[in-house]
Amino acid sequence: MEGAQMEDFRIEDCENDNNTHEDSQMEESEQNNKHMEVAPAVISVHPTRNSVAVAVGSDLRVFNLLEDCAVILVDEAGGASHNDSIRGIKYGANGKLFVSAGDDKLVKVWSTESWRCIATVCSEKRVSAVAISNDGLHVCFADKFGVVWVVDLPGVDETQAPLNKKAVPLLAHYCSIITSLEFSPDGHFIVSADRDFKIRVTVFPKKPLDGAHEVQSFCLGHTEFVSCLAFICTPDSPQGSLVSGGGDSTLVQRWSRSLGRISFLQALVVVYLEDYYGW
Amino acid sequence: MLQNKANPTISKSTGLPRKRFYRARAHSNPLSDSHFPVPLSPSHVDYSLHYPQLFPSSDCSDGSKKIEFADIGCGFGGLLISLSTLFPETLMIGMELRDKVTEYVKERILGLRLANPSQFQNVSVVRTNSMKYIPNYFEKGQLSKMFFLFPDPHFKEKNHRRRVISPHLLDEYAYVLKVGGIIYTITDVEELGEWMKSCLQNHPMFEPLSEMELDGDPVVKLLSTATEEGKKVARNGGQTFQAVYRRITLASQENS
Repeated sequence: MEGAQMEDFRIEDCENDNNTHEDSQMEESEQNNKHMEVAPAVISVHPTRNSVAVAVGSDLRVFNLLEDCAVILVDEAGGASHNDSIRGIKYGANGKLFVSAGDDKLVKVWSTESWRCIATVCSEKRVSAVAISNDGLHVCFADKFGVVWVVDLPGVDETQAPLNKKAVPLLAHYCSIITSLEFSPDGHFIVSADRDFKIRVTVFPKKPLDGAHEVQSFCLGHTEFVSCLAFICTPDSPQGSLVSGGGDSTLVQRWSRSLGRISFLQALVVVYLEDYYGW
Repeated sequence: MLQNKANPTISKSTGLPRKRFYRARAHSNPLSDSHFPVPLSPSHVDYSLHYPQLFPSSDCSDGSKKIEFADIGCGFGGLLISLSTLFPETLMIGMELRDKVTEYVKERILGLRLANPSQFQNVSVVRTNSMKYIPNYFEKGQLSKMFFLFPDPHFKEKNHRRRVISPHLLDEYAYVLKVGGIIYTITDVEELGEWMKSCLQNHPMFEPLSEMELDGDPVVKLLSTATEEGKKVARNGGQTFQAVYRRITLASQENS
C-alpha cells in the first residue's frame, strides 16, 4: 500500500504546541473529565446516500450502502485513523469528500471514492466541529478556543501523496466552544454555533484564506448552548432555512434567513432518526 | 437609596458618589464567567431601565430611538458624561466588566440626573463582558460610534488574544457599527497602540480618518482629556497613541 512507510513526525509536531498556563489548566480539567466522559457518537450521511459514517470515540466506521458492505479506510499511518475521540465528521455537499477530526488535533480529509486519506491538517487545539465547502475546495474546522480555521484543497488527486496542509484562521467566536459548522445550501454563508447560545451567519468569501469578516447576522434566541445546526430545503424555501437545536431541550428554532432575524417557532419537534441498519 | 444620609459612599454636598469607595483594580479577567444577566437579543434590551425619562414604560422601545454610542470598558464614566451633554439627542451606553466600577457610574449618572433636571437622561451603563455579548445588545448597523479608551494591554504575547481589539472581534464591531460609523481607540502603551492600529488597518471593513476629519471631530479631543486614565497620563506627561477608523462596506470581490 502506498504511503505505508510515512513517519509519524507530523503528529508529534502537533503535540508540541505552546500551551499557556490557562490552556494547560483548561486541558487538565478536561483530561480529568475524560476518564468519566465518553465523547458522543457522531453520524453523517453521504448527500446521495451512498454511504453513512459513524464515529464512536476514536473509532471511525463507514458503511457503503450501495454495495452493502463495510468500507476499509486507507490512511498512510496505518492502524487507527484517529488516536483520540472524534468530535466531528462530515461529508461535503458534492459528495466527493469526507472530513473527520477531534481530540487528537488532526483533521483528516478523505476521498469518498477510494476512502484514502488525501490530506491531514494539524490543529493547534482540539477540534470541535468540521465542515466542507459545497464546491469541495475548502475544509473548515473549529477548535476549542472558538477559532474557525480554513484550509484550501486544490482538488482531489488520488495519485498524489497525502498533503500536509496548514490552516489559517477564518473567523472566531470569542472564547466559546463551537459546536456546529454548516455551509448554507447556496454556499454563500457559513454558519457557526457555540455553547454561549449564539449562532453566527457569516458571508463565505471568494478568497476564504483572507478571512471571513462580513457577519451577515447573529441568530440569538437560544437560552442554552446550541448543539446542532441543519439547513432544510423545502418547496416553500428552496434556498434552505436554518434549523437549530440545543440545550434548551425541545426548542428547535427556524430562522428567517433573508433578514437574519428570528421568526422562531417555539414548537416541540420530534426528530425521527432513520434507522439504516441495525449495526 | 441615594437619599440615605447614612450612606458615606455618596457625597452629601454634590450627591455624587465618592470614588474612594469604588476603587477597583485596573485589570479584570474577561475569561472568567461572571454572573450578570445578558439580554437574549437586542430587542430584549430594557430601554425603560436605562433611560426611564425617555422610555417611561417597557413597551415603548419599538423602532423609535436606539442606542448609538457605546463606550467599551467605560471605567468611571468620564467620556460618557462629556458625550452626554455634547450629544443630548443621542442615546449612549457604557459597558464595564468590573462590578464596583459599574456601580460607581450608575450612582454618578443618577446623581447628575437629580442635580440637573432633564440632562443626562440619554446616558447609562451596564455591567457586561462586551467581548462576548455585544451582538446581544446591538443590532446590525445600529451604532454610529464605538469607543475603546485605554483598554487592558495584556502585555504577554500569550494573552494578546484577550485584547479587546483583535482581528476577530473587529468582525463583530463591524457588524454592530453602521457603514460610516466610527471606532475610536486610544492608549498610552505604545505597543498596544501599534497593535490596535495594525488590526484596524488590516481589516477590510475599516479605513482611517484623514487628518482633516480628525481635526474636525469634537469627540477626538475628548479621548485624551475626558477620562480618568487620560488625565492620569497627561499629569505624568505621557504620550498617547490613537487610532480612529471608519466602518466601510467590504469592497466587492472580483470573481476569481
